[in-house]
Amino acid sequence: MQPHDGAWGEATALFERFRRGVWIDAVLLIGVIGLVFGLASLAGEWRTLRPAVHIDLALSALPTYTFYSLMRGLIAYAFSLLFTLTYGYWAAKDPVAERILVPLLDILQSIPVLGFMPGVVLALVSLFPTSNVGLELASVLMIFTGQAWNMTFSFYHSLRSIPKDQIEAATIYRFDWWQKLKWLELPFSTIGLVWNSMMSMAGGWFFLMITESFVLGDKDFRLPGIGSYMNVAVAKGDVRAMLWAIFAMIMMIVILDQLLWRPVVVWAQKFRVEEGSDEQTSSSWFYDWLRRSSIIDWLGSAIAALRRRFGNQDQPAHPPEEKPVGSGSSILSLVLFVILVIVLLFGSWRLMLLLGQLPVRGYLPIFGACGWTLGRVLLSTALGTLWTLPAGLAIGLSQRLSRIFQPIVQIAASFPAPMLFPLVIALLKAAGVSLGWGSVVLMLLGTQWYILFNVIAGASAIPSDLGEAARSYRLSRWLRFRFLYLPAVFPYLVTGWVTAAGGAWNASIVAEFVTFKGQVLTANGLGAQISLAAEHADFPRLGACVIVMAAVVVTFNRTVWKRLYGLAESRFSLSK
Amino acid sequence: MPNGSRLRVLEDINVAIKPSEVVALLGPSGCGKSTILRILAGLIRPSQGQVLYHGRDVPGLTPGIAIVFQSFALYPWMTVTQNVEAVLQAAGLPPDERRTLAEKAIRTVGLAGFEEAYPRELSGGMKQRLGIARALSINPEILFMDEPFSHVDALTAEGLRAEVIDLWEPHDSNPSSILMVSHDIKEVVYMADRIIVLSSNPGRVRTIVENTLPRPRDQRSRESEALVDYLHEIITGAEMPDVPAAAVARASRIEALPRTDTSDVIGLLEYLDAKGGMDDIFEVAAATGHEFGHIMVITKAAELLNFVDTPKQDIVLTADGRRFVRAEAQERKAIWRAQLLKLRLFQDVHAMLAQRPDHGAGGDLVREMVILALPRENYEEVFDTLVRWARFGNLFAYEDDADWLSLQES
Repeated sequence: MQPHDGAWGEATALFERFRRGVWIDAVLLIGVIGLVFGLASLAGEWRTLRPAVHIDLALSALPTYTFYSLMRGLIAYAFSLLFTLTYGYWAAKDPVAERILVPLLDILQSIPVLGFMPGVVLALVSLFPTSNVGLELASVLMIFTGQAWNMTFSFYHSLRSIPKDQIEAATIYRFDWWQKLKWLELPFSTIGLVWNSMMSMAGGWFFLMITESFVLGDKDFRLPGIGSYMNVAVAKGDVRAMLWAIFAMIMMIVILDQLLWRPVVVWAQKFRVEEGSDEQTSSSWFYDWLRRSSIIDWLGSAIAALRRRFGNQDQPAHPPEEKPVGSGSSILSLVLFVILVIVLLFGSWRLMLLLGQLPVRGYLPIFGACGWTLGRVLLSTALGTLWTLPAGLAIGLSQRLSRIFQPIVQIAASFPAPMLFPLVIALLKAAGVSLGWGSVVLMLLGTQWYILFNVIAGASAIPSDLGEAARSYRLSRWLRFRFLYLPAVFPYLVTGWVTAAGGAWNASIVAEFVTFKGQVLTANGLGAQISLAAEHADFPRLGACVIVMAAVVVTFNRTVWKRLYGLAESRFSLSK
Repeated sequence: MPNGSRLRVLEDINVAIKPSEVVALLGPSGCGKSTILRILAGLIRPSQGQVLYHGRDVPGLTPGIAIVFQSFALYPWMTVTQNVEAVLQAAGLPPDERRTLAEKAIRTVGLAGFEEAYPRELSGGMKQRLGIARALSINPEILFMDEPFSHVDALTAEGLRAEVIDLWEPHDSNPSSILMVSHDIKEVVYMADRIIVLSSNPGRVRTIVENTLPRPRDQRSRESEALVDYLHEIITGAEMPDVPAAAVARASRIEALPRTDTSDVIGLLEYLDAKGGMDDIFEVAAATGHEFGHIMVITKAAELLNFVDTPKQDIVLTADGRRFVRAEAQERKAIWRAQLLKLRLFQDVHAMLAQRPDHGAGGDLVREMVILALPRENYEEVFDTLVRWARFGNLFAYEDDADWLSLQES
């Protein structure tokens, strides 16, 4: 199995398109952030309080909570998929819009979305002051922001990398846009989309945990779900309930994998493009079972009958006339494009108004805090590399270890780290570690898997003759590592770093500011500043913090990571 | 073009396809023959000129044609039948008709029994059969074929050519005509009625050869072989004029560097030496299993270095060439270096580097020189070749990371 190849493709795709002006980035950045805050403040005040949700710690209640959480994840995924298909298609098909849409997507995925959570939650709750609907929407929206971007990038990238011959064939045989989509574009993007969906779903749990157990100062925004169950269990010190919650989460991941992703992956094999000699096909008992059962056959023939009955609506009875390509569609895309630009401008304007309320002096502590958080992000990435590099190499280079550890690593990577935060904080407190250092551990908890994932993928992609050559020349273990393994996995390592660092920035918002047994612990950092500003409903400061964080993340991507990517591609790529 | 100007790829091309004929576009790689095919199909809009179909100017896709692609361009996720039916559905045919027509097309190309197979289960030849079936299914008036057999093994290709001619032959049914693109001289002599020979840089019609050999044709007949030889001569005459290249270079024109690796040039010289100093260029291509166009590029490179001479279709080892081949490794490098220094481009770069204080310069400065000297060439490729050749002759050293070119003391 290689879900990581997709990730590597995506990340490279992302860095391919960097030859654009800094000002575009800046404008987009300001536009997006301003827009969110604009909407948040439009929604007005949030004085009306909903009744707090009561969480029942009884074991019998746990399945229901787990089901709620699962549904939130799936609903958010449905939205992500819808967004992916429309946004990715638009970006790939409309060269004018593409110039805004692709950088915009890039900015969106660089922004630490958790910074927006307080604003979004408050806004949506105030829209539905008496029910949970606003909170549910906020939860789905936050999960969506954790899922959508990389799926969209994957789809866009697939659409753009369809071989020229295939496109020409579709054109010469006069496929209409729907036939092109159905027979060429969707099948061609399926594999990338499936792998990225799996990763997105895993990333989504992280946000689910946080939104479900969201408490802002003395205001309780919790939702009934597995995240709040864990939260309450920790608060009450109920170890049995904690263990059950963790078990339930793992079960949810495993069941989802077995009943949804595995069958989909096996089904997606038929969309392989390369001529597969090495049949590394994965198998799925559930898929086999579905195929053998007669229900599917019955369903299939029922659908076919329906289609015959209602005539094939998807094709005209007469040959399509030659018509000038896309006059109607180009007007539509122009209108959408103008709306997009107006919306972004509106956002920028709102943000300017908001930021104007914060005195220039107010920025100093923000920049200081940003330095601390940057340090923590880098430290957690370095620490993660320290153990995952040897471990990943060991696993990736050995077929036996791969077989044993891959599933475990996958579950561990899907497991939402925030669920474990309360436990880890308790341990850290007992050991007398301050949150300043402790928050590094919390970040590490969620992000190390990305590095491990990628190292394993890189190690298993090393051609075996390179390893055999190194052994035949009697290179010592250290020399083999330096001359072969490290350079060979370097491109994968960079991908892992980018993902891990991005995750760590996000995590800083919840890791530097924690409420533990009614007591608030903070570390000096930008994440804590964001949480603090949100707690005091200090929107100008919140806006300033988020824009500083987003700017730092984007700048860091453009300079450090981009350069490392360049190095990885030109020097350490095994495919050239 | 990277330096801002537009590259003229094609010039004064006038191609007519009449009913019931097979027209072939023949030429070396990069002469734009596939581009011509795509312009005629309406896939590419030319910056100048127009496409007429039955005397009518057709904007957009040209009606009445289907294309068979070099890379097959099949949908790997569809079965043989589905691949054909998709095209018919796009043409707006009702399901029953689709089924009948697809079945017929599949049977016509001899794929009956494989209806439910996926393309990945088929061999290269069978894949192209499917490509042909797909094209035929929409009953095209003209069948376009873009190097249709170059991804198919030689034996299979031989059979397929004959079958395509059989499909075309009945004059009362479609496809009425075939337009094919090829670099294989024997192939076009076997298949085409009219052979349009193109030259490259920019692509032009070199000449048009009418092929009146009676059908069915025999590839081994004396008439066929005579025509093959004749076409060989036209192409080599066009691409390798009988004026020594070095002489041209001395006449102050800066020569483009054919994109070749030094080992290819040395391999050619070794081969010629083993053959007693000369061989026919087509023999070389056949014996080494290289595409003819590739051998021609290598020959041009060797000629530029004055290692070979090319009277007509022959490649002859020169005195310098013989001296080089028989020399030891170190001496070879010295000869190579001396030959390089006879070329203007190397002289200029050498002089420029010698003037610099540290005898080195950034790669971009050298690329700049290449652009100025050879505005028509792809400067990256020329630079790349320059570095390869200079490295072998210990003339210049080049550090890839720093993009830094410097003189190397011999």
